[in-house]
Amino acid sequence: MAGEKVLSLRGLTVDFATPDGWVQAVRGVDLDVARGETVALVGESGSGKSQTMMAIMGLLASNGRAGGSALYRGQEMIGLPERRLNRIRGEKITMIFQEPMTSLDPLYRIGRQIAEPILHHRGGSRAAARQRVLELLELVGIPQPERRIDSYPHELSGGQRQRVMIAMALANDPDILIADEPTTALDVTIQAQILTLLAELQEKIGMAIVFITHDLGIVRRLADRVYVMKTGEVVEQGETGPLFAAPTHPYTRMLLEAEPTGRKAPPNPEAPRLLSGRDIGVHFSLGRSWGGEEALLKAVDGVSVTLRRKQTIGIVGESGSGKSTLGRALLRLLPASGSLEFKNQDISHADRARMRPLRRQLQLVFQDPFGSLSPRMTVGQVITEGLIVHEKDLSKSERDRRAIAAMREVGLDPAMRNRYPHEFSGGQRQRIAIARALILKPEVMVLDEPTSALDRSVQKQIVDLLRDLQEAHDLSYIFISHDLAVVRAMADYIIVMRHGQIVEEGPAEEIFEAPRAAYTQALLAAAVDNRRFRTAVQEAAK
Amino acid sequence: MAAYVLRRLLGAVPTMFVIVTIAFFMIRLAPGGPFDLERPLDPLIMQNLERAYNFDKPLWHQYLIYLGNLAQGDLGPSFTRRDFSVVDLFRVGLPVSITIGSLSMLIALLVGTVLGALAALRQNSWVDYLVVGTATFGITIPTFVIAPILSLAFGVMMGWLPAGGWGTWKHMVLPVVTLSLPQIAVVARLTRGATIEALRSNHVRTARAYGLPTRVVVGVHALRAAMLPVVSYLGPAAASLLTGSVVVETIFGIPGIGRYFVQGALGRDYTLVMGTVVVIALFVIVFNLIVDILYAWLDPRVRYD
Amino acid sequence: MTEHVLSEQVEEPASLGAGRSLWQDAWLRLRSNRAAVASALVLLLLALAGFIGPWLVPHSYDQIYPQYVRVPASLEAYPKQDRIVPDFQSALERARITIGDVELSGSVVRAPVSDDEPLDPRITRYVDRSDLFDNARLQDADGNPLAEGASSGFMVADVQRLRFLFGTDANGRDLLARILIGIRISLAIGLLASFMALALGVTYGAIAGYFGGRIDNVMMRVVDVLYSLPFIFFVILLVVFFGRSFVLIFIAIGFTEWLDMARIVRGQTLTIKRQEYVQAAEAMGVSSAGILKRHVIPNTLGPVVVFVTLLVPKAILLESLLSFLGLGVQEPLTSLGLLIAEGASNMRGAAWLLLYPAVTLTVILFALNFLGDGLRDALDPKDR
Repeated sequence: MAGEKVLSLRGLTVDFATPDGWVQAVRGVDLDVARGETVALVGESGSGKSQTMMAIMGLLASNGRAGGSALYRGQEMIGLPERRLNRIRGEKITMIFQEPMTSLDPLYRIGRQIAEPILHHRGGSRAAARQRVLELLELVGIPQPERRIDSYPHELSGGQRQRVMIAMALANDPDILIADEPTTALDVTIQAQILTLLAELQEKIGMAIVFITHDLGIVRRLADRVYVMKTGEVVEQGETGPLFAAPTHPYTRMLLEAEPTGRKAPPNPEAPRLLSGRDIGVHFSLGRSWGGEEALLKAVDGVSVTLRRKQTIGIVGESGSGKSTLGRALLRLLPASGSLEFKNQDISHADRARMRPLRRQLQLVFQDPFGSLSPRMTVGQVITEGLIVHEKDLSKSERDRRAIAAMREVGLDPAMRNRYPHEFSGGQRQRIAIARALILKPEVMVLDEPTSALDRSVQKQIVDLLRDLQEAHDLSYIFISHDLAVVRAMADYIIVMRHGQIVEEGPAEEIFEAPRAAYTQALLAAAVDNRRFRTAVQEAAK
Repeated sequence: MAAYVLRRLLGAVPTMFVIVTIAFFMIRLAPGGPFDLERPLDPLIMQNLERAYNFDKPLWHQYLIYLGNLAQGDLGPSFTRRDFSVVDLFRVGLPVSITIGSLSMLIALLVGTVLGALAALRQNSWVDYLVVGTATFGITIPTFVIAPILSLAFGVMMGWLPAGGWGTWKHMVLPVVTLSLPQIAVVARLTRGATIEALRSNHVRTARAYGLPTRVVVGVHALRAAMLPVVSYLGPAAASLLTGSVVVETIFGIPGIGRYFVQGALGRDYTLVMGTVVVIALFVIVFNLIVDILYAWLDPRVRYD
Repeated sequence: MTEHVLSEQVEEPASLGAGRSLWQDAWLRLRSNRAAVASALVLLLLALAGFIGPWLVPHSYDQIYPQYVRVPASLEAYPKQDRIVPDFQSALERARITIGDVELSGSVVRAPVSDDEPLDPRITRYVDRSDLFDNARLQDADGNPLAEGASSGFMVADVQRLRFLFGTDANGRDLLARILIGIRISLAIGLLASFMALALGVTYGAIAGYFGGRIDNVMMRVVDVLYSLPFIFFVILLVVFFGRSFVLIFIAIGFTEWLDMARIVRGQTLTIKRQEYVQAAEAMGVSSAGILKRHVIPNTLGPVVVFVTLLVPKAILLESLLSFLGLGVQEPLTSLGLLIAEGASNMRGAAWLLLYPAVTLTVILFALNFLGDGLRDALDPKDR
């Protein structure tokens, strides 16, 4: 670590008062930040990484309590009265947050919100502040700052709002910028833009950045030094390069290995076609205008897909690309145009009654493991619900037996089948959802972002589980995800979607190694090759 | 904006029409009539009366006549107060009711928001418990219990204020207090909840993270957000003030339209009852429009469409 | 943020056996809420008082005691000791006979009586007619029934001891009996009206929410129109013009209170319809009936239960308001609102007539509100 220390934490603790007494969320963290360096604080959800930084900024929830010491240039910040703390935060140390949609006050224009910290810390006239805001908006790459300065937050996109937050953070030339998962809620290409922007601004302005993140890709890309946190403690720290090359703590190793690896071999080209859609279109009405013209949102627009036995097709795209809608249309859960065939049987116009016997062979697993299980049914009931529909004559004990078998298969303890979903963790719930689909012995499963809501280490387990199940039962998957690392590990064929249409498709290796469409290239550039990206930024800055 | 107001007012026409129609036929199809006195009237006089008030015509014809008059702002003659037209009665009663109602609303808003915000800022302190406890009382105890008790205490026992009647400002105190108490309670509870929620919101966290003084964090960012639910409550508040005014005017003997309504209904005064329904529906519609405009002005996310 | 931290740390249920359903959880939370439990007990007692109480009190709610008009509440029995002798005397004086000294022993009052003519046995009626005395008879000095034709003897009567724990009203009726009947009427109308609002609102809201689209638009537009009316006016019209029967009152109240219910149920149905577990059930081929039975109804139940408990006090309030305005149930039947109205007009000099019914109504409303709040906290803990 070179240069003078601007921030230094010693034995920092955070406790929360709960009905069961005090619970320690951060257990004595030591951390140093030197002038102008980028430090990453890495960990999975619940590791205490955010609370550590909230504690020094005096932003803990009202039931929270901080202890230990946090020195900013020799000034103790823990226990500092609000009035004196206010001279540091917003001026010397600033912060941007994970939720760009809610972190700005929806009731005020962004110009006023950016100007507020300037006026409070620096004083000066409103006109001068406005001039400074315009400069800042220009700096963070907001187009047409003169017009945008009078916009309300809801009139901006998520990426633009995060830029506005950054402008606010830079307004008083801070020493330290704390970025709490600043890109997690954004699409991949936008993520890349925001990260590039932060890296460039750091070169230009020279503040230190503390990056709080669970995304090791970002760490590798941006950080000089890394602190790895687990259950409230720093388990390992060091320079980024050496730490990534030779992690010493098992948890760090687990995190690094947690990036899904492995490739899926393509199926036998002779394998029978299971599900195919031709020219699928899904249109939503946006209402009728006065003239009588109906406005249509083409969520999916003329897409064709063919899925063979034991194949995994990865559908990739950013939010709003229509990938989830396509997945549902393929299962005839949404009214769609075009033709649909399942096992050489035309199901384009099949009604509910005709679809019902086919449903057991066509299953769906959702992204949100919290929303996809009915909170008022036991896990056993959830898993066996499909059997009630498709094997009506099954005795209760036989259903129970199958539930036990299905739970074993997805790695759950069958003794827990009388429990309710809210008593399980995210990863366990996703296993329950998979067991629910599996018990029907389906042939095709549409997996809609099944790993996106999970921590990396859990993601890997679910990916492994899905691959094992595919081997064991000759399953065919349609795997929908925005996460290219996971898709690459799961799929042998890739469809890239944007605005409801296919941008590019082909075997996975081809798409990842030699993308043809510019959009695919941008997606990959943003997400995959971190090292090349980082050097590119550094060179650009020089 | 002007187009929006116009569109809303046009949209109110069918609503008014439905209300007038339901009320008209409901009143007319009910047994009894304004001339059913204890001693039956002479048949000849009865006939004359019925002709004078168009009662001899078929009901649908009377309905059309009423609609025609209504379109010209004529609410017809009162049956129980023979020398007055309904419009005459409202000219006296409406200002009284509006005075009491708007004073109560104003007091409720002022006191309620201040108490609610105080409680939220001092959450879990004695101030908070006091406000929440009092608010629970205020919401639970009905107006028709508070009114006679206040009248008993301040009017009869202590004799500070008149126990009923109308005339000086002293006559207004007890009715206005009675009407505003439950509203103060509701507004205080709403403000408290909304302020607490706003203080926990991400954008208030941002304001704190940027070192803005508490006065700005609370005054500029939290309280304005907290006002939104209070503004949306104004519509229901007006409705319950109307209900309350029926009680209060009856108990304190105030010559407002609420009392006219009850008396009119009991005396089968068709035109007076219809007139009250029309005036109140119109008032509620216009008031809701004002509330919506106010809301859109406070919250830029809301657009007129 | 903190909830998140903790939930991540305490998850991974380790022990075996049955889990706790959300209902069981809610029940445990409700049981630990003291205000709610106390309220439930109070309500239970009041309900018992309302439904059994009228048989237990010695007076009927419509029995009039002309001698006991507006007597204050008292634990002591009436008549008061010092009133017995004068009242006995004045009752006898009406018989126009000569009366000696009245003596009172225990609950028997005795006076020598004589007349110029033989005593007519019918003179006992003058005594019996009073509310104070009972079983009046003529006796000789030994306590045997007086022989026919005797012109002197003793008039003996039992003193009728009456207790009016809450006093009597302006007509001389026992206030306690009337309050108990009032509780019965108020609770019954509150429950029936809420049930009516529940049935109407759930049906309407579920249909609108389930079918959605244009049907939903039209149905909710109707609700909006109805919302823009202060409904109290329509209730008053209904009740005034179509008579003041018990049934009509609760129908009228039910009609005014179903709007909120319809909105809540519609919102819930729409939300649940979008939930992924419903989509998952659809993807498994579960029928509409199965989805409604296993998913929509159980998940709508929570908010509906909460809303109904908060609806009951509103209905009771509305009924009392109508009764207060003289538009509710009719004499001699009564309800708390009517009693409060009577109390209000008699409050000068007889404040208990206002206070007792007012306190009773307030206690009912409080208990219902606390119970409703407790239920809401229990069923939806995040909504504080």
